Amino acid sequence: MTDKLLDIFLAEAQDLIVEIEKALLLLEQDERDQHAISAVFRAMHTLKGSSGMFGFESVSAITHHLENIYQDIRDGAAEMTAPVLEVTFKTLDHLRALMSDPHLADSSNRENHATLLTAILDHQQKKDSAQPLTKNSMSAPGGHDEHTYYVYLLPHDHVIKNGTNVLYLVDDLLALGQGLSFPFFHKLPELHALAPDASHMGFEVILCTAKPEQDIQEVFLFVDTDCDITIARLAEGNKIAALHKKQSNQTHRSSPIGIEGFRSLLAGNKRERVAEKVKSVSGNGYANSVRVSGERLDDLMNLVSELVTTQARLSLFSNHNASPELAIISEHIEKITRRLRDNAFTMSLVPLENLVVRFQRLVNDLSKELNKEIVFKTEGTDTEIDKSIIEKLTDPLLHLLRNSIDHGIETPAERIAKGKPAKGTVHVRSHYSGAHVVIEIGDDGAGLDLERIREKAVAKGLIDGRTHLEDAELVQLIFLPGLSTAEKITGVSGRGVGMDVVKRNISDIRGEIDVVTKKDKGTTFIITLPLTLSILDGLLVKIGDTDFILPLTAVAKCYEVETAQLESTYNQWMNFDGKRIPFFHLRNDFGITDHKPQHSQVITVTHNGAPVGLAFDKIEGEYQAVLKPLGEFYRGQHEFSGATILGNGHVALVLDPHKLITKLNTLHKN
Amino acid sequence: MSVQTETLNSFLSFRLGEELFAANVSKVLEILEIPKITKVPRSPSFMRGVINLRGNVLPVIDTRVKFGFPIVPDTVNSCILVLNVLSEDKNIILGAVVDAVQEVMEIDNEAIQAVPSMGTKYKTEFISGMLKMGEDFIMLLNLDLVFTSEEMSILEDVSKPENEKSENK
Repeated sequence: MTDKLLDIFLAEAQDLIVEIEKALLLLEQDERDQHAISAVFRAMHTLKGSSGMFGFESVSAITHHLENIYQDIRDGAAEMTAPVLEVTFKTLDHLRALMSDPHLADSSNRENHATLLTAILDHQQKKDSAQPLTKNSMSAPGGHDEHTYYVYLLPHDHVIKNGTNVLYLVDDLLALGQGLSFPFFHKLPELHALAPDASHMGFEVILCTAKPEQDIQEVFLFVDTDCDITIARLAEGNKIAALHKKQSNQTHRSSPIGIEGFRSLLAGNKRERVAEKVKSVSGNGYANSVRVSGERLDDLMNLVSELVTTQARLSLFSNHNASPELAIISEHIEKITRRLRDNAFTMSLVPLENLVVRFQRLVNDLSKELNKEIVFKTEGTDTEIDKSIIEKLTDPLLHLLRNSIDHGIETPAERIAKGKPAKGTVHVRSHYSGAHVVIEIGDDGAGLDLERIREKAVAKGLIDGRTHLEDAELVQLIFLPGLSTAEKITGVSGRGVGMDVVKRNISDIRGEIDVVTKKDKGTTFIITLPLTLSILDGLLVKIGDTDFILPLTAVAKCYEVETAQLESTYNQWMNFDGKRIPFFHLRNDFGITDHKPQHSQVITVTHNGAPVGLAFDKIEGEYQAVLKPLGEFYRGQHEFSGATILGNGHVALVLDPHKLITKLNTLHKN
Repeated sequence: MSVQTETLNSFLSFRLGEELFAANVSKVLEILEIPKITKVPRSPSFMRGVINLRGNVLPVIDTRVKFGFPIVPDTVNSCILVLNVLSEDKNIILGAVVDAVQEVMEIDNEAIQAVPSMGTKYKTEFISGMLKMGEDFIMLLNLDLVFTSEEMSILEDVSKPENEKSENK
């Protein structure tokens, strides 16, 4: 039990650290960004609390002192400075280390801890001596005089989903003194459009308190990004009684009264009465987001996958058995299964945003290290990808980014000489494209030096010096093992292990990578990934008795030809649409001899930019394949990316057309 | 022999051609009738293909071919032993087609004889012992060794030319 809680704490702590990191990066741009400062403070505060609870004393100690610094900054008692930022960044890295070593067992961690702690305390003292007592000067004159405040609170739609109970906020406000609250419903939609988990109401609170205005603001400390809040002083002294007399029995107010409304009410000009204080507590205010371990999600996905398979089987069975009732049940289950599947899939999706924070860090660190000025731009980082893909994507993307900064962007002097702005730009863009996600990483740097790539490739014996290669083909050479064009090895890149590994990692998750480059304009890597790894939209085809699945994304066109024609052609070429297209008669290549058909189907796929035909016996139709591994014994056969179980219980083999063609090409050559 | 070891020495005997083999029952998960087997093209001849075992894909090995027996069509008695073998510290589940399953026998350790180093046509390390049953000898198989991925590594030879760069054709 405690282990489970601990896991949750660790996961939460990681999130908080990322959150702080995000805010710090904003602060690096603008040191006076109040939102970011509050965000750091809040996250520190939460981290301190929960780490203390779990016995991570080292974490809570260090966050405690940092939190103090940020509180001062937030309250205007201290200024955000570059050294503070730097200490905070260092602390974050240290905190990450502490997560696995909370008791400072590692001596370097212990040392680090001590230095950071003194550094932080140092900063704190500096502030205390530099600005004595200014902290409380603002709130002091309020004294014990009571004031009546007008508070306008309009929570955003999603506030309940974030686990905030708006009513508690109102209660907290009223706890500050005497008050009345007036709900309003101007956003309330028609019943059919009503989302039960969205907040549709707002509150106006008239509060009489002797406490300073700052205390009122503090009630909203943790929700100020989720609500529209206005706090204004309505009048001196206690005016609650005056308002109370005029209160209305009208509980459904469609629009807020507004501060002017209250002023005039107080002035007694209007007869309008005001709603009664809300006391009711509806039950839907509890947190409705739950943390689930990745393992459990995987289990769920597996079960759903099996359900999809079984459901396909049921549909098939019901088609063969003319029972109307069975057909209805089967159709129902089909619908539910589809919804369940879609639901389960969205659960394991993670926005790319999570990676982007790390990118930003990398860009900042590297640009300092390499003395380059770089602007980092992101676009569409809310695009969501399967979490298992994200995990495998991190290293390749970081590598590409590193390359862009190290090789792509020139030094400021070089850039100015070329007539470009001194600051280079590196961008990450992402968007959906059908069943795929496209991620682009690019720079406006020097572009790939094609001549150098060519020389290198010839020197390494990767290509023949006499062959002429088009630019597009030259660019592809960077994905070959052992080719690195960096002039000198820096700490960052240039060891010649790189692009081939990136390409392999990406094709492992069924993605593709392409590169566009232009001299002195920059280089962009374009990565295309499937939305999910476990289900594949395919075309079910047959050769003899064997079923195959061809990924639909690879399929370009289908042609019907006489089988005899396939066998009589010389040199494995055929004319389709007036073009000569090479093809493979898979029946021969796979050694399948049974049920030879009169007509065959040639499906063209695009391989290395050119169409290649693959001849099958029969096309059965589209099929959603749940991918299963073929297992250890077939690990040498990359042309099959897996297998799937069909509705009739038979196993179909899932083809990887590119690897198949590559393999057949080499076989035919020999 | 004590009682505990006796239960550990339960063996399932099966037939390939005229010869009898036996495997420790702890390695045998279940026995299946032969369903439709999907042959994976261009795999070695002793790989019969893959079958659907309750939603999972199970590789099936033709034990006849693997042991060098002549190929004969399946009969009503042919079946698949679902085996759990340990290969390179990993548990691998696989199916093995045999001609017929005979019986489960309790074998006393003392009845197991050492393998003669000469005169068998099988690699001796695959056989952990021999047992005399009337006129016949039963060979006790060491399944972990017979079906290791290393032993199956001929599979990888099939795909050796993978490193070729046929990209710039």
